Amino acid sequence: MNYLNYAAEAFILIPLAAVILNNILPKKFMEDHFHILSGAAALLQMAAAAYIFCIMDINRMRHYSFFILWEKSTSDSGYFSVGPVALVFLFCIGMVTFVSVMIAIRTVDTKKISYVNLLMTLLIGMNGMVLVNDLFSLYVFLDIVGISSFVMIALYQSRKGLEGSIKYLVISELASIFMITGLAFIFMKTGSLSYNAVSGVLPADISDPQTILIYVSVILMIAGFAIKTGVVPFHSWLPDAHQSADTSISVLLSGIVIKIAGVYGFIVLTGLFKGVRAIQISLAVLGMTSIVVGALLALRQDHFKRIVAYSSVSQMGYILLGLSTGSVLGLIGAVAHVFSHAAFKSTLFTNAAALHEQTGTLEINEMGGLQSRMPVTALSSVVAFLSTAGIPPFAGFWSKLLIIMALWTTGNRVLAGCALCASILTSAYFLRLQKKVFFGPLPEHLSSVVEIKGSIKFIEILLTAVTTVVGLLFPLILVYLQSRGWI
Amino acid sequence: MDLRGGICMESIIYVTLVFLLVFCVMAVVSNSIIKSAIYLALSSAMLGVIMYVLGAHWAAVFEVSVCSGLVTVIFISAISLSKMKRDEMDKLYENKKRLSFLPAALIIGGVLLTVAAFAKDFRLPAAAAAVSEDFREILWTTRQVDILGQITAILAGGIALVVLFQNDEQKK
Repeated sequence: MNYLNYAAEAFILIPLAAVILNNILPKKFMEDHFHILSGAAALLQMAAAAYIFCIMDINRMRHYSFFILWEKSTSDSGYFSVGPVALVFLFCIGMVTFVSVMIAIRTVDTKKISYVNLLMTLLIGMNGMVLVNDLFSLYVFLDIVGISSFVMIALYQSRKGLEGSIKYLVISELASIFMITGLAFIFMKTGSLSYNAVSGVLPADISDPQTILIYVSVILMIAGFAIKTGVVPFHSWLPDAHQSADTSISVLLSGIVIKIAGVYGFIVLTGLFKGVRAIQISLAVLGMTSIVVGALLALRQDHFKRIVAYSSVSQMGYILLGLSTGSVLGLIGAVAHVFSHAAFKSTLFTNAAALHEQTGTLEINEMGGLQSRMPVTALSSVVAFLSTAGIPPFAGFWSKLLIIMALWTTGNRVLAGCALCASILTSAYFLRLQKKVFFGPLPEHLSSVVEIKGSIKFIEILLTAVTTVVGLLFPLILVYLQSRGWI
Repeated sequence: MDLRGGICMESIIYVTLVFLLVFCVMAVVSNSIIKSAIYLALSSAMLGVIMYVLGAHWAAVFEVSVCSGLVTVIFISAISLSKMKRDEMDKLYENKKRLSFLPAALIIGGVLLTVAAFAKDFRLPAAAAAVSEDFREILWTTRQVDILGQITAILAGGIALVVLFQNDEQKK
């Protein structure tokens, strides 16, 4: 059990140690080797998540609780715990952080020390959110994620960056206000905010006036998490923030931050208020609106990163639809889509970094015919697009299939049909993107463009392999889930 | 004596609540950015008084010292450090659309909520049982996770200040 404890503690202590090392080692040395420290922290996180998953599976454990630094607490708010869902999220955090570091090698040319500091505090914030057992602690770590993301967007203090970060800050604080007000209402009723105390706090008797207070708090928390997820109609901050930030930071925001700050919050909420029809309907409405409006807005954009950002708005809708079913299959589908979205969205942002580095622009109308000049980038982009659209055999196909199956089996057949048809919209905006960037005649000014080399090319190949291999092996994952009685 | 003391305490809370609301509205509708910051500080101070009267002494101390004191100092320092001249800034701030309907909306909303609460016989749940243990003891023994979170939040805030205020000679 000792090794298990060390691995679990690593989620908080490794990023903390990385911040300390980053600031005490010589500045010149760290600027030259910043990627080694932060990359190692990300890889260790992935290894720790995989190790804990294996040990828990061998010992048939559903949860593992642990303490950091202090002696044991009698309260369940005083310790961290991990379960299978949390481990998938922790693995995704490590994966996207690693991708961000690899992109940063090329794109972050100054402020490398600050980048690592902020990346590691962001890592602690995201890991903390996934590990806590208490709604107030969740709020504390959510704020850490907010602070770190806000400053990362404004890292270079460009006018666009500052504008994007201020938008993010203001809307993010609005979400925090909603959430803390909701938490206060729940605390008034329960006297504790630990998951165990809050679970089942909604009484069956809706005529009880005090129940209204809990419903108000749930509405506030749904609004707060919806803002953090960036789903329609709370999406206005997301494309601006993603476009204005450096690509190494956009990949973090789109690849994992919106999922941890928003989607994970929804998972906690649906877990605490199981079977509450009002929450399920709210998530279904938010999800469906987001899928359609996000895709339609993506169709109208001309900037590569904005299209990918609006695509995130649309894809978050699928995850909410999965959660709206309230079934285990829906939860598995949502978590699978979190993973596949992390993989294909990271690929698309890596493509954005490659295109920007090589062509100097991300306006799709200024590009064309790049598949002959940048074949690796073009191939990885096509694979990511196919996975996003839910085309077999890529990872995105299976996660969307699970979500649609969950909708179908819980009687939401209209929603299942709409979600299926909405994939056509996804194909539409990505076909337009692919056609404008990689196909057609090569413009004169891009004739000297060559394929990107180094870390970005490595990550493009790696992520394409992940999306394909996970897609091909997904039937085995389903067999495993069935053998464990989860589906 | 207890009854008179209770009525006195309730009076203090209600009077302070009215002041709190007035200062909050003033902070939003004021035409001067400095005045807005000061009204915000005053509203925090009123909140501190309410917390103290309700027995949350530590929270009151933090509210007054941090939210009312430190945050106001930061606001005013930021305004002073801005390269824009004060009168230009005030003019810019003055031209912003003010929420002049806010006081009326608050009064109407308050009246409607009170009527609805009476009609439904709505009562807030009894406050959570008063904590007899020491605040520090609770923080240390049952809220370790939050302490770790707060340490990280302070660290993130410090890093944010360094990043945003350092001289950026090599702007990208």
